[in-house]
Amino acid sequence: MFFRRPLAIPALALVGLLLVSACTGAAQPGASTAPSAQGAPVAGGTVTIPIGADPTLNPWSPNAFVESLFINRAIFEGLTKPGKDLAPAPDLAESWTTAADGLSWTFKLRSGVKWSDGNPFSADDVAFTFNDIVLKPDLGAQNRASYAAVKTVTVVDPNTVRFDLSRKFAALPSFLAYNAGILPKHVLSANPLTTTSFNKGVPVSTGPYKVEKYTSGQSVSLVRNDNYFGSKGYLDKVVFTVVPDPNTQIAQALSGDITIMILDNKAAVDRVKTASGLSVVSRPLVQYYWLALNQTDPRFTDVRVRQAFVYAIDRQAIIKSVELGYGSIANSPITPALAAYYDPSLASKYPYDPTKAKDLLTQAGWKADANGVMQKDGKPFQFTMDVGQRGVLEPVNALIQQDLKKVGVIADLNTMEWNSYIQKDVVRREYSATVNWWTYPSDPDVFPYYHSSAAGKGFNIPGYQDPKLDDLLVQGQSASDLESRKAVYKQLQAYTSETLPYLFLWYPQEIDVVSTQLKGVPELGLRDAMHYLGEWWLAKK
Amino acid sequence: MIVFASALTFFFVNLAPGGPASIMRFDVSPEQREALIRLMGLDRPVPERYVEWLASALRGDLGTSLLTNEPVITRIGDRLPNTLTLAGSALLLSIIAGIPIGVVQAVRRGKPIDHLLSLVTAVGLSVPVFWLGIVLILLFAVSLHVLPSAGVTAAGSDTFADRLAHLALPALALATTILPTVVRFTRSSTIEVLHEDYVRTATSKGLRPFTVLTRHALRNALIPVVSAIGALVPRLIGGTVVTEQVFGWPGMGRLALEAAQGRDYPLVTGLTVVVAAIAVLASLLVDIAYTRIDPRLRLT
Amino acid sequence: MSRLGVGALIVLGLVALLALAGPVLWTIAPETTDPLHGLAGPSALHPLGTDELGRDMLSRLLHGSRVTLLVGVAAMLAAILIGVFVGAIAGFRGGWIDGVLMRFTDAMLAVPAFFFILVVITVLGPGVATLILVIGALSWMPVARVVYGETLRWKTAEFVVAAVSLGASGPRLLLRHILPQVIPSLIVSATLGVAFAILTESAVSYLGLGVQPPLPSWGNMLQRAQLYVFTAPALAIYPGLAITVVVLAFNFLGDGLRDALDPRRRR
Repeated sequence: MFFRRPLAIPALALVGLLLVSACTGAAQPGASTAPSAQGAPVAGGTVTIPIGADPTLNPWSPNAFVESLFINRAIFEGLTKPGKDLAPAPDLAESWTTAADGLSWTFKLRSGVKWSDGNPFSADDVAFTFNDIVLKPDLGAQNRASYAAVKTVTVVDPNTVRFDLSRKFAALPSFLAYNAGILPKHVLSANPLTTTSFNKGVPVSTGPYKVEKYTSGQSVSLVRNDNYFGSKGYLDKVVFTVVPDPNTQIAQALSGDITIMILDNKAAVDRVKTASGLSVVSRPLVQYYWLALNQTDPRFTDVRVRQAFVYAIDRQAIIKSVELGYGSIANSPITPALAAYYDPSLASKYPYDPTKAKDLLTQAGWKADANGVMQKDGKPFQFTMDVGQRGVLEPVNALIQQDLKKVGVIADLNTMEWNSYIQKDVVRREYSATVNWWTYPSDPDVFPYYHSSAAGKGFNIPGYQDPKLDDLLVQGQSASDLESRKAVYKQLQAYTSETLPYLFLWYPQEIDVVSTQLKGVPELGLRDAMHYLGEWWLAKK
Repeated sequence: MIVFASALTFFFVNLAPGGPASIMRFDVSPEQREALIRLMGLDRPVPERYVEWLASALRGDLGTSLLTNEPVITRIGDRLPNTLTLAGSALLLSIIAGIPIGVVQAVRRGKPIDHLLSLVTAVGLSVPVFWLGIVLILLFAVSLHVLPSAGVTAAGSDTFADRLAHLALPALALATTILPTVVRFTRSSTIEVLHEDYVRTATSKGLRPFTVLTRHALRNALIPVVSAIGALVPRLIGGTVVTEQVFGWPGMGRLALEAAQGRDYPLVTGLTVVVAAIAVLASLLVDIAYTRIDPRLRLT
Repeated sequence: MSRLGVGALIVLGLVALLALAGPVLWTIAPETTDPLHGLAGPSALHPLGTDELGRDMLSRLLHGSRVTLLVGVAAMLAAILIGVFVGAIAGFRGGWIDGVLMRFTDAMLAVPAFFFILVVITVLGPGVATLILVIGALSWMPVARVVYGETLRWKTAEFVVAAVSLGASGPRLLLRHILPQVIPSLIVSATLGVAFAILTESAVSYLGLGVQPPLPSWGNMLQRAQLYVFTAPALAIYPGLAITVVVLAFNFLGDGLRDALDPRRRR
């Protein structure tokens, strides 16, 4: 409908590509991709990437926020990494199998891997990372909740580890590709998460590039890791500059000081497109925006009310004005980027229809008064939406407020500073409705966000509890082969789009601004593309 | 006064809703949150924590930043030179440009140049500094490609010329917060002095106007200007918060914003102490300069 | 008063008129969105175009003027209240009260206001009331200084001495005889105070800590507009220009009044 024409075609091509390569394993790290029409890779050059703040060079530290992701993914390799089709690809592990009862995963590690300081890497480092860091509750490691099903990691031999599970966990290999770098035991065994000479200085890592220098407030530079097990990276240097202001990032890109970056401020895309030497590309993201209606509020427990809201919100208009068209309507938690599982038939559900919305509200027992405001038991349909000040949430809430007004629902906006917002809506769950998003590993296992056990204090923010949904979620975790998982998740998508535990809004796409000189970057979101830093190269001008 | 400020800030910040950003993440589970709170010692009562902080502060240890686990002193120390460079350059710029402009205005009082400069000064006083910053970036960095748009140095190199180029726009923007005031003060002070008897005497004695100006008038005209500049230093420091944000300048202003939003209690308190100390130091320096310039005060 | 001052007064009168009557006469609501027609240029329906969500810029500017002026004037009033209180009492009473109060004033003057505004707002949460309080609490010092000086001056004036001999004393003396003399300087401080308050509000709202959306203020309009500075600079130009013009007018007015009311400067 309102899709930008020029984007529709490459987007479809991308999805097509993903579907085709769904079942193949990814290429070996370090090997160069087929140069195709780009010419042969040449060595040399410096790539500059902006980040928003000083990074914390430790993927498991609770202080590692968005700005740390890029470097951490590049230098700290995990057992697996996102493949070019987003399925888990080998990284520090060459292969993996699950036991017949599904209660363990065994990973065969690559041999001959060395840390950047020359010490050898082994299964002990993997066991250390998980047993002594991630699974230790007192340390408060990040992403710990993702590994709730892991009891312990056992060293079978110097090149083999086994993850012993408390329940079936089909998604483990995918989760291990998501911000799960392995840390060196010989450096951090005394103080795994707060060694500042490591986190804020020069850490020891296994990737093709290692940290050369960390200048607080300014930049972190990477150079080739001479101890890397694979082929040498082409680039001489990779510099991450600290540029907190998104406009300044754009200004730097326009003046040629930046090689590649994510365009957070999509509004500037037209301006950037006109610049010579830069190209703008859209990339898939495993992310979706949602509106959570607190299920402890009886007005929101009627599914017709939830469906009415979705009909009332003009999601395409939101995508057009806030995401500049770079996104698609969402009707389930599985994103199009997970091409193997995504069900495109649901995409046209809940078209924008305020009349239908009003009908559904009437069916649910609401009646419009003289001013058009919906009433029940003498009370108007009015509530407060908490708005966290981050990203696009403010304009999105403004649009939703207006859309709801048109069908007689009054949503008052309470804009809050992010920290206080988290305190109120997430920690204390004192909210009626709020808009936010989920980003998750490249696997359809969305158990933590939808299971009834996660209501209240867990990540099931709306607090939606449904045994049928629980059942589907557990099935998805237990199924071991691709085909059965696909079937389960197809059912899950259909079910959630009908029952709307969260009101699904849209799947955003990422826009990257790339210098035309930069080649070899896989067509993945920039965070995922960081795993392939060894393949990037700069063409001579 | 510093202790008072630190106490006020400590209690105040700890009252803020929310907690350190590392536990205020969307993807943190309740168990993680509890573990982190215990690790950071935030489960103890506020007065107890303040006393502990004060004790170590008096020994020179301002605590550990909650968000990076580095000592607060290190974090502030990383940023302090940058802010001082920025503020110092802006101050220098305001003095070097502001005083002559004010003098020119005083001497040519009532003439078109005076009116023109008054207008420019007034506009400078009224423009929001962050708006000016964006405009400068768009003009000089993006359109004209003459000056860099952010940061202290370029990614690859670090020469003096490079640093100077990066300093130019932010210093200019920051200077506009006090330059107009310096100009006005100089202007009015010089005008007053020029009406004084001794100036008229000097002129009637046949001395050239320029000599009168520099040898006799300026000395006295600048006295109130010096104290005025001293009073402007706090405004300058406050202005660094926004200027650093616009230009991506890694200074204390930005650090303060991050620390406040991230509820990094030790860092915020530490910053307050440092900023208050700087303010006190600055006013002390101004007092000293004042006594130097004004011979009448030397005896007190 | 100088022509510039008179001109400024006229401009401000116009602005006040627009702020009061504008939103009543121009009936398009400032928060009505029309996302499919965002970032539109000027048209018959939207003389100043629309913002990124299709909201009418003119309406937002008019409603925003109310908020910005409200914050500016209210903060100034708060500052004046505190400043008069501190300065008058210090000047009138003298002695150790004088010493303590003026030391306190000096100490507060040495504090970089913006830093503390940041911390306080982070604690108390953003919002119009907090903003007014905070800006007022950090800008009363120049007022106190002026009132202090004036109080000292007028304390020894003939008519005051006369009133004292007739039995007037204490608060009555202060309020009835001295303070009225201070009013002219207060007016000057007031106009400059509004200018400062408006600039501070815009800076704080720019950082996201001031007036919260969807309530428009010129400051927070600039915050969102920053994202569109490359594609639709008009979004930033209108509020930025509005702030500059109003602040400029207040500054000129203050200067004009000061020149007019200060006997030493009269030509």
